[in-house]
Amino acid sequence: MIFKKRCDVAIVGGGVCGLAAAATLADQKLDVLVLDENRYLGGQVLRSLPWPGNASGIHKIFRSRPRLVDKTATPSVTILNHTQVMGIDKDLEILAEKDRKEIIGIRPQMVLAATGARETFVPFPGWTLPGVMAAGGVQTLMKGAGVLPGQYMVVAGMGPFLTAVAGLFLKNKGMPTAILDFGKRADTCRLLVHGFRQGAKILEGVRNLTGIFLAGVPCRYRTMVVAAQGSRELEKVVAARVDSLGRIIGGTGKTYKTGCLATGWGFVPNLELPMQAGCSLTHDPDLGGWVVAVTHDFETSIPGIFAAGEITGIAGASISMIEGELAALGILKKLGRNVDVHRMAALQRQRKQSLSFSTWFNRLHRVPDAVFCAIPDTVLICRCEHITMGEIKTAVEKGYDTPAMLKKVLRCGMGLCQGRTCGPVVNRILAALTRRSAEAFPVLPVRTPVKQVSVRSFLR
Amino acid sequence: MTRNLRIPGIVRGSRIQFFFNGREITAFKGETVLAALMAAGIKTLGVDPHGKGRGALCGMGVCYQCRVSIDGRPGRRACMAQVRAGMVIETEKDLP
Repeated sequence: MIFKKRCDVAIVGGGVCGLAAAATLADQKLDVLVLDENRYLGGQVLRSLPWPGNASGIHKIFRSRPRLVDKTATPSVTILNHTQVMGIDKDLEILAEKDRKEIIGIRPQMVLAATGARETFVPFPGWTLPGVMAAGGVQTLMKGAGVLPGQYMVVAGMGPFLTAVAGLFLKNKGMPTAILDFGKRADTCRLLVHGFRQGAKILEGVRNLTGIFLAGVPCRYRTMVVAAQGSRELEKVVAARVDSLGRIIGGTGKTYKTGCLATGWGFVPNLELPMQAGCSLTHDPDLGGWVVAVTHDFETSIPGIFAAGEITGIAGASISMIEGELAALGILKKLGRNVDVHRMAALQRQRKQSLSFSTWFNRLHRVPDAVFCAIPDTVLICRCEHITMGEIKTAVEKGYDTPAMLKKVLRCGMGLCQGRTCGPVVNRILAALTRRSAEAFPVLPVRTPVKQVSVRSFLR
Repeated sequence: MTRNLRIPGIVRGSRIQFFFNGREITAFKGETVLAALMAAGIKTLGVDPHGKGRGALCGMGVCYQCRVSIDGRPGRRACMAQVRAGMVIETEKDLP
């Protein structure tokens, strides 16, 4: 049965961005609805243990500010958790499924999409073996359930997120076998120097690195995983050194015995909902590739739909929080309310300052094209539909060289995840193989429902 | 398992039992199915059409690699479902 709700503003995504927006709108006594797929608010960054009585695992920079989750606990904010949004139609009506059993229609005056980001990868032989997990997935397991993925773990990929995950693992009495970073050791030092203005975040980085050093965990730079091996599950990781272009240097292979590998190569925005709604995208390689195009007030190309946070550019949680508030102020302006222009200007200044660090950071951690060209033919790229690098290469040689054509000829991106995992990887592979800019390859179109919902919900 | 993978010193929910491929497993109320299985040392959550094991990747509901059958309902994401007492969880063999 479909029941309908009305509200002033519907926010999709209850992470830092969505909550910052909800808190700002609630201050103006607007009727706000926050929809989130998870059972608990906070998204990936503010994720914490579900049981009361535990010390907050939430990062200090967010704890020191007014607690976002508490601030939204007012009568004007309604939280719809465990709710999957299927789509937004042209009258801004939102169709969603709650608790896997009921269908809800929501009629808001304005919508804010704050759908956040997911991890992206560089596939390697054996990355489908049980025991190989996303670095963020391992962090979620520790932060959200207090469970370690194993006693030992290799952390590999690129960037400071690896040390964050290894640091958390170490703090909880896990033993990181090694940290394998594609980046240069000098990049880590540059990051510490350039990032000093980022305050708490860098301090935590230094603390993690110190802990890792004191525990004697080997940190290998300019190193990447060439294979994960094991008969049924992960048993060992083979890594090798790479040159400045990211090409593997022969004879530098080293094997690490481990049952768990956390791999992370950065983040990409969750564009599915804004795309389904018809919002225009823009391409910025320094902000994660394709992102939602927004005005100064964070309104998208569809009037009444606003977008903020990681979907307007991969820039980190502090910026998402600023953008959430800015988008809320933009919405208030559009609704004809009085807004504090000084506050708006101050937030825009803060955002601009942080954004210059983020673009520098993203540029520093950009994976070279050569790495995508060098993926061996046997490696699965689209896990859902079992499509290998070799099949993609053959298709590209035959002229099927866009994501849409690969989808038609290979079913690449047509599986359960709907291209969420392989899409950004295929985009980079195509750009690398055809020596074109990633901008030449549009993201696959998205239609309702953008999330899988149970047919049973419709039958009730 | 040689060691408990649950981080010590955490206040958890009440102790419950569930079943994974017929094996009785202890978990704590509030945990996701994935967390409960990982804590029991279980990483293989399904079998692909070539007979190879499949396990969790993203851990946040995006990739569908951790899908299992829960109480007879197929294709549920272990990372998003909460474990309940008496739950019957089974690995699935993927269709080719």
